[in-house]
Amino acid sequence: MRVLFFAQLKDATGCASVELPAPAPVIAAELWSTLLAKFPALETHRKTVRLALNSEYATADTQFADGDEVALIPPVSGG
Amino acid sequence: MRIEIQLTRESIRTENARLKLGDGDCGALVEFAGVVRGKEDGRAIAALEYEAYDEMATRVIRQICESLGAAQPCEAVVIVHRIGIIPVGETAIYVCAKAKHRAEAFALVTGFMDRLKQDVPIWKRRALTAEELKSA
Repeated sequence: MRVLFFAQLKDATGCASVELPAPAPVIAAELWSTLLAKFPALETHRKTVRLALNSEYATADTQFADGDEVALIPPVSGG
Repeated sequence: MRIEIQLTRESIRTENARLKLGDGDCGALVEFAGVVRGKEDGRAIAALEYEAYDEMATRVIRQICESLGAAQPCEAVVIVHRIGIIPVGETAIYVCAKAKHRAEAFALVTGFMDRLKQDVPIWKRRALTAEELKSA
């Protein structure tokens, strides 16, 4: 799956996106474990970041699978 | 309700985006323009840079408009958000709604702006000084 980073999360990770192997669907907690192992600086953002799956906000039941586009959405500030 | 959404890297020309009245059904046109101010956190700035997750932002804006339109039946709404570097004094967001009566048009515009600032994946990325704007 492809994981996108926006705004301050680009600074935290040093990149705009990353490809993660997903041999089986994962829930948010598992996805976070993988992301934090790769990008420890995301830890301070975790509480305020919402996950999105294929351009829709994820819910507690959402599963993230191979081929998906996942996005980490920090607090928004448009307008 | 007709919904028009545009994310643009160019200047917003509000006179071009504005909905037209005069078809006889609608008596109210409400518009809002959000403009970049000259100060950010008390510091003088020359511009703001906005970033968006374009595909999702467009989708969420549409969902918000559909949801608000169900409660506030308007005939049409136009949303234009500029992305990239926006100099002070220029428009970052433009919203225009037309309806039979003013109450639903006002409610849709104000309701949209509230939801924009909660849910639409657009970010003020950084403030630029005059020097930074020159070299951007």
